[in-house]
Amino acid sequence: MEKLLHVDDLHVEVDGKEIIRALSLTMDRGEFHIVMGPNGSGKSTLALTIMGHPRYRISRGKIEFEGEMINSVPVDERARKGIFMAFQHPEEIEGVKIMDYLSILLEKVRGMDRKEAREIILEKARDVWFTEEMLLRHINVGFSGGERKRFEILQALLLRPKLLILDEPDSGVDVDSLSLISLKMRELHNNGTAILLITHYGRILQHIDPRIVNVHIIKDGTIVLSGKEELVQRIENVGFKKVFEECGCSE
Amino acid sequence: MSASKRYSRSVVAVSEIQDVKSVIEEQIEILKKRNNEPEWMTKLRYKGLKAFLEAPHNDPILKDPLDFVVKAQNDVYPEVKSLEDLPDEMLSLLERLGIAEVEKKYVAGLAVQSDTSIVLNEFLQAWRKRGLIVESMEDAVRKYPIVKDLFMQLFDPYESKLAAYHTAVWNGGIFLHIKSGLKVPMPLHLFFLIQNSAMAQAPHIIIYAEPNSEIHLIEGCTAPILLRHSLHLDMTEAYIGEGAKIKLSVLQNWPEYVHTRPMTRAKVARNAEFINTTVGLGTGKSNIANPKYWVEENAYVELNGIILGQKDFYVDLGGEMHLQGKGARGINASKSVIMDRSTVITRGIIRAQSPKTKGHISCDALILNPASRMETYPGLISEVDDAELSHEAAIGKIREEELFYLMSRGLKEEEATQLIVKGFVDPLLKDIPLEFVVEIKKIIEMAVSGGM
Repeated sequence: MEKLLHVDDLHVEVDGKEIIRALSLTMDRGEFHIVMGPNGSGKSTLALTIMGHPRYRISRGKIEFEGEMINSVPVDERARKGIFMAFQHPEEIEGVKIMDYLSILLEKVRGMDRKEAREIILEKARDVWFTEEMLLRHINVGFSGGERKRFEILQALLLRPKLLILDEPDSGVDVDSLSLISLKMRELHNNGTAILLITHYGRILQHIDPRIVNVHIIKDGTIVLSGKEELVQRIENVGFKKVFEECGCSE
Repeated sequence: MSASKRYSRSVVAVSEIQDVKSVIEEQIEILKKRNNEPEWMTKLRYKGLKAFLEAPHNDPILKDPLDFVVKAQNDVYPEVKSLEDLPDEMLSLLERLGIAEVEKKYVAGLAVQSDTSIVLNEFLQAWRKRGLIVESMEDAVRKYPIVKDLFMQLFDPYESKLAAYHTAVWNGGIFLHIKSGLKVPMPLHLFFLIQNSAMAQAPHIIIYAEPNSEIHLIEGCTAPILLRHSLHLDMTEAYIGEGAKIKLSVLQNWPEYVHTRPMTRAKVARNAEFINTTVGLGTGKSNIANPKYWVEENAYVELNGIILGQKDFYVDLGGEMHLQGKGARGINASKSVIMDRSTVITRGIIRAQSPKTKGHISCDALILNPASRMETYPGLISEVDDAELSHEAAIGKIREEELFYLMSRGLKEEEATQLIVKGFVDPLLKDIPLEFVVEIKKIIEMAVSGGM
């Protein structure tokens, strides 16, 4: 059976500079992968390249999603195939009310009618502490760190992607929001969504069952170490710094 | 006013001017007879004709004033009693503005003004008893002595050939009189349907709001029914009494062959509020307007312009606010969405003439196409020490990251762009009833997808 995501010998350039080199990563349906690494190691670039940002140019290698090569598939089509990225720094969009935006999203992407869309939006929004009144605010405008991250997870809950990429959901967020985001991430995972979690701090590991995860350590644009539970345990026991030092990838 | 600026830089030969003179004379005589006008009005019309021959003309688009003086035509449409009586071409225009739809859902306060009469629905007939007068201008000129004291008090026919021409041949329009303290809770929708093609399209509107009255008038400018007319020249004079709160929203969706030169002026008395919103969806071939407002003590004026520049349209929206009274305030805000090869110019002027006055000009533009053009010239003039005047302008394209964010959720580029554009204009639609906002947004969506 084909893999959900298959990244093979990927090389990525941004403005002529190579950021990702010879990176390979394979995920099956419903799996949980964590990519960890120091600042500037290429974590976000990997996420944005899988999502299809036009600034990130694949110079070699390929990305396959459900067996199909998507190297040159535009971002909106990737999204409709089931890839979702929760951004580290979500964009502010002035004037666009959350309610209007989410309704259009459900209508256009999931083919719901307006009434059905409204009900599910209100329900899921409550789950991530967005009141009806807050849905009249503009996308990410004036949001706190926690609100931004909860709004990202809200969109994922509504779209129910096959692959959810979370780019540093644990940075710039309060403790309560982080617990909630972890809870919702697990909920999506339990319902079959594969998770690709990118983190620098590892704060979020406390909220995840170590038995289910695959961990990859990325440095200088390539994966230098992969492991399972034991790698997570090791990180928990001795801390990042030590693990990074051991693999020669310390900051 | 600016009569002193009179000069004659006539670009036409005398013989042609003489032809035009006789055409206008003929129209004045027809109007005088048709409307059974009092003598003062006929005198005023002839003053307009005289001014037309002498007044300056400096329109950047309509170079030759003789082009827009129409000769009499004989086509006459059947009389209109309700929207169902309209010829198909008018109905389709109403539909383009979304008015036919809105009318079905939102019938309270609808008045349809045809050439000389006005169709009032039951709502308006009930409010008439309480002191709301909505009359066709032709009838009002005959019936209400006050009209003589108000008509052309805020304009001078000598200021331009266009003002002069309007004075001479105005026809259609309404007289809206709100009695002291009367607060009308529902918006009054007014649609002009000028049918008699012998006339220039030059409706004259007077809003006479007595102290502490309140109303929201929505004008749907669907007037360019007559395909042979290339110029629309309406004039609005608003007299806002002390403490009155008046909103005037004008929705324009002109076909692309029409040049429009709306002329709006308002005198806003102490503690009064006048909110003037112009939504130019189809702005016609060219649209040039420079509304003026005289604002008294502690009064407040807002000019909101929403402009959709399409095709090769030329839009020049000015706006002069004279903050004459202590504590007077004015805001001139515009949001333009510019595409194709269109040009949009905004040039607001706020003149602080009394202490503690406040004025703000903001001008935002979203440029969707490199061939389109935007210019903005904010003018802030302070004649006193302690006025607060400010302006801000932001002209830009849709940001790539914004588009990427929305598209990363599965919206197509067109859908994402529509969402951003609608969000961009949304804040200025705050005073427009929801029914219209829905239709306005539909028109914007169509334009954006067509323009991409």
